[in-house]
Amino acid sequence: MRKDWWKALCVLILLYTIVVGLIVPLKPGIEETLPVSVDAGELLVLSVKGYNTDFVNAQDQRRAWLKLDDTHAVAANQLLTVDERRVRISFSIPASLPGNSTGQPASLIIDDPFHGPMVKPDAVMINNAAAGGSASLWTTSPVSDLHVRGAFRYPFRPILYETIRTIYYHVPMWFAMIFMLFASGWHSIRYMRFGQTVNDRWASALATTGTIFGVLGLLTGMLWAKYTWGTAWSWDIKQNVSAITLLIYFAYFILRKSFDDPERRARTAAVYNVFAAAMLIPLLFVIPRLTDSLHPGSGGNPALGGEDLDNTMRAVFYPAVIGWILAGLWLSQVLYRIRKLEHEVAN
Amino acid sequence: MKYRISTLIFLLFYLTRPALGHGESVDFMRDTGKIYVVVAVLAVIFLVLIGYLIYLDLKTRKLEKRIRHGSN
Repeated sequence: MRKDWWKALCVLILLYTIVVGLIVPLKPGIEETLPVSVDAGELLVLSVKGYNTDFVNAQDQRRAWLKLDDTHAVAANQLLTVDERRVRISFSIPASLPGNSTGQPASLIIDDPFHGPMVKPDAVMINNAAAGGSASLWTTSPVSDLHVRGAFRYPFRPILYETIRTIYYHVPMWFAMIFMLFASGWHSIRYMRFGQTVNDRWASALATTGTIFGVLGLLTGMLWAKYTWGTAWSWDIKQNVSAITLLIYFAYFILRKSFDDPERRARTAAVYNVFAAAMLIPLLFVIPRLTDSLHPGSGGNPALGGEDLDNTMRAVFYPAVIGWILAGLWLSQVLYRIRKLEHEVAN
Repeated sequence: MKYRISTLIFLLFYLTRPALGHGESVDFMRDTGKIYVVVAVLAVIFLVLIGYLIYLDLKTRKLEKRIRHGSN
């Protein structure tokens, strides 16, 4: 029982990630703004619906801007608090857009000491209907002195909302899968070198749990995708390569089943498994970086940073990765022990 | 035994379905900041792991039978 301390650790970590992952609220944010477009030179009265907000609080110190870019913004004339979740903000849009463009989206920024800064990117489309007016008013009210609110809260992201928490349960599935499958490949290499049945048994048990984690990653990802990307399967590059990975490992299990002689089964399976593990590198690490993807950090390195994974989220995400890897080792170990007993009973 | 569990699971989902579908909002899953997507994700993980547990259970049962009857 003393060697099993890591199983207790696994349970504690997973409990922590589920409880903290679900209990910590999101930062306040801007859920909806109306209208969606306005002509330059007009008075815009923006109806704002907040998420996790309490607009009644600190309403005298609240400021708001419509921001075009780093040097062009216009401050609000008036802010009217309707209730906890609703404010009405009026802006006098300058008569012309800078650079004489025909239309430009503006981001809404609301700031006060209670909520901290809240941003809705591209909240309003500003159309330059009557070009020729002065655009200089855009530069007179810079966005400055934003408050910083240092609470332990997860970021508010449009479209994602509360599903940002899914990152604690979906992404560690892939980490665990990759760990199990590489560990399985390593045992297959060991089997080819030393020919010990132990290694073959470990390779097969680790491949089984790795595949289970792959299936879990795919299922949880499809569920998440349905409510954020619109469809469960959108032929995204990462969806495709992980489906191919699973097919490769399904073939591995079929291969194992098709041999009666345990020696031949172990040897053939080991060779196949080493190739399968080697295939993981181009499939999971190279190809997704080469093309565009709906996943964060498309066409580049994985987006394990910024607003998609800030420091509050890291405090849950990385323990979750460790916890699920330990869980995978535990599941593999039980399967390994059962297979070992089966073998001992048969002889 | 296997059929009884699956029937139970099916009934559980079938009976709770109308309660979920006819809520006040248009879409239950998109209500309350889509929090039920996270709940569903956790439920999927739970169910798959339970499925694996049942698989191990059946394997262990076979093993027990072999130990009990196959001592020749």
